[in-house]
Amino acid sequence: MDYQKLFDSDISKKAAQAWRAQGKKALGLICCHVPEEIFYAADVLPVRMRATNCVDSSEAETWMSSFSCSFAKAILQYWLDGTYELDGIVASDGCMMASRIYDNAKYINAKGDGSKFIMQIGAPRLSNARTYPFYKAELTDLIEALENLTGNKITDEKLKAAVAKQNEARALVRQINELRKAENPVISGTDMLKLTLASTNMPVDEYIELLKAFLADANNRAPITGNRARIMVIGSALDNPEYLQVIEDKGGLVVADALCFGERGFGDALVVDDKDVLGSIAKYYLERLVCPRMMDKHIQMHDYVIKSVRDFNADGIIYQRMQNCECWGGENVLLEQRLKDEGIPLLTVEREEQMANAGQLAIRAEAFIEMIEKEV
Amino acid sequence: MADVKDLEGLVLKGEMTITEFACAKIDASLERMKERNPDMLWTMEIQKFMWDGFRDAHKNGKKLVFYGGSVPTELIAAFDCVGFYLDTIPFRLSTNPSLTAKYIDEAEKYVGASMCGLDKVELGAWLSGAYGMQPDMFIYNSVPCDSSRVAYPAMEKIIGVPTFSFDMPFRRDERGAEYLADQMEDLVAFMEEHTGHKLDWDKLKYYMENANRNFDLQKQCADLRKNKPCPLPGRLLVLNGTTNAVACYPIMGDLYQAELEAGQMMVDLGMGVCEDEKYRIAMLQNMIWGNAGIMDWMQKEYNAVAVMDAFGFQGDIMYEHMDDRRDCFKVMGKKMQNNPMIHGASGPSENHVKLVEHIFEQYSPNVSMFLGHVGCKHTWASAKMVTDMVQEKFGIPTLYVDLDAIDGRYKSGDEIKAQISEYFETVVMR
Repeated sequence: MDYQKLFDSDISKKAAQAWRAQGKKALGLICCHVPEEIFYAADVLPVRMRATNCVDSSEAETWMSSFSCSFAKAILQYWLDGTYELDGIVASDGCMMASRIYDNAKYINAKGDGSKFIMQIGAPRLSNARTYPFYKAELTDLIEALENLTGNKITDEKLKAAVAKQNEARALVRQINELRKAENPVISGTDMLKLTLASTNMPVDEYIELLKAFLADANNRAPITGNRARIMVIGSALDNPEYLQVIEDKGGLVVADALCFGERGFGDALVVDDKDVLGSIAKYYLERLVCPRMMDKHIQMHDYVIKSVRDFNADGIIYQRMQNCECWGGENVLLEQRLKDEGIPLLTVEREEQMANAGQLAIRAEAFIEMIEKEV
Repeated sequence: MADVKDLEGLVLKGEMTITEFACAKIDASLERMKERNPDMLWTMEIQKFMWDGFRDAHKNGKKLVFYGGSVPTELIAAFDCVGFYLDTIPFRLSTNPSLTAKYIDEAEKYVGASMCGLDKVELGAWLSGAYGMQPDMFIYNSVPCDSSRVAYPAMEKIIGVPTFSFDMPFRRDERGAEYLADQMEDLVAFMEEHTGHKLDWDKLKYYMENANRNFDLQKQCADLRKNKPCPLPGRLLVLNGTTNAVACYPIMGDLYQAELEAGQMMVDLGMGVCEDEKYRIAMLQNMIWGNAGIMDWMQKEYNAVAVMDAFGFQGDIMYEHMDDRRDCFKVMGKKMQNNPMIHGASGPSENHVKLVEHIFEQYSPNVSMFLGHVGCKHTWASAKMVTDMVQEKFGIPTLYVDLDAIDGRYKSGDEIKAQISEYFETVVMR
């Protein structure tokens, strides 16, 4: 089976068009705390929204100003200019910028024909016995709204089936990610990011088949050799593989990441308690280590980063933070010293959604790689 | 008494803490005021109460509780602790740009430059060892913004004292009120554990009663601003917003009482703060803490008074059933959601739109200004919705000025004035 579609990271409308052509709904999701399982259980196609290749978000900027995160602006831009053809948006208050995409989209929809389904759910920023029930109640609202939108009843059985399907995708992505531990892996960091981004371009069933095909062929792929250093990339939402390509072109093979569009966006298996299926989903999504929006997960995230450096034998970390992305903007307060203590080199770089600073990134990445590459 | 520059120098050299600096500066201002403007002493006395209280908490045998975001100050006070609202540091230092610059630069060694200046000053001053105080506890909330959501958890780890954090629901509804009331019970348990005292409901009632009195007086002061001409200066709006840290203490009510009496006297005399009031300004975003003198300048230069702002306005949530613990805790939660900077900014944008709409309906402004603190990115991201509503519903165009309310290096007071002047001369006065 040809799995090349996994490496096409451009945003495609085709899956949503095909889904909607069957009389079903397709909704955009913003961002990591809107469980896809609930959408599949309602027979709705969830499309995690991103902004890959957006080069001009000026229309969105009139709504969100130049002081907003360019990733968020670019998503709103794609929503406004028709890059996405969806029945609506469901957002969580992931960060304030994610919330403002929702707010502006809702306002613009109300000013227009009001035809889109625009909804927001609250996602707590702490993960504990108090917050799980609150989030579960928010997810119950989402279920009711999707049932009203589609006429489809969401049952525990449907949720469990959707969880099983997502878990299958999670396991396959994890398996592919493990391939990056090899001295000469068969997948680059750039391709790995393309592969995870591709999940937003197709239904999960198709994605699973393509992942299986990739794994079946993995042994036939040429190992990547000749890199000068092994890099872990962490930081803000990164949906542009070209960014990693710049680093890899300079000899820094990206072998691990903590990116919400990367493997972290999939996470570990969601274990369902049959007595409380929705509660299991709520707990899983609040506990998942994916975004520093969670106020009580910073140290765990740092532990994860350090463990990944060890597990994937990375020589250093590139921490990229988007201008105006505050969630990822403050990790160095605690992380920098920890990395020093662990002897892990760190390069911190600022970036924008648009690839406007590729030359500067290339120079800084090259200097960093020179610094950390091991003499053979 | 050394002059401010000397004091600044001592702080910059690390020979004076920011707490000592604030107290000394307030004392000097009070001395000056006694000579030149004794009628306005009440505007500084509250500052003295706050800062001396912070400084002397341990000396007075009280536990010191640092807090960030909106937290129930009534509960902190009821446990006989002194609450220190961290945002009072950047507010206080914002008129000393060399100090805010030092702490912002310190913070930017670790955080992105786009982080809000308030959080950078709080973090940078702590990293510089400049507070001169060690708290016994830390309480923070997941509001008002992404900057604080990063700064407070980091400070929690660095400060290393027992910490309680709230999770603020995004929307304002019954589920959220119940959720916050549950967390209030958790806070009580936390405070009982770390103070060694049980909650004294009568003491809490005392502070809730104070809070009711204060907000009632605040509302009366706000209502006075509906008069034409407006009897109270724009500068007081800045003060009202920043004194929220002591909103459950009698001294806050004393301030409002004095403000009310001064304003009422002006109304009775048919006078306004402008000699010939021509323009009534609605301020749609945060206040210009580092340049509050611009309010006085607009009054003098253009006969333009800021009648209300979307930062300090409180609404009128009151405690009604003071023996009903659950009801009181729900009200506490609702009040937290309606704190300055939280109410219009950190929830759905429609809250901000409604708040501004209310201001335009109630205070009859004819000038609209969005003097936007650049750290408030989420408010900027609501700005078009807010100002479109102002244009469509009230026919008033809005001036946008980007500024940093804390970091004076971003834009000088003169630059801000120049932009405001252009707006008045090319739009408002034509």
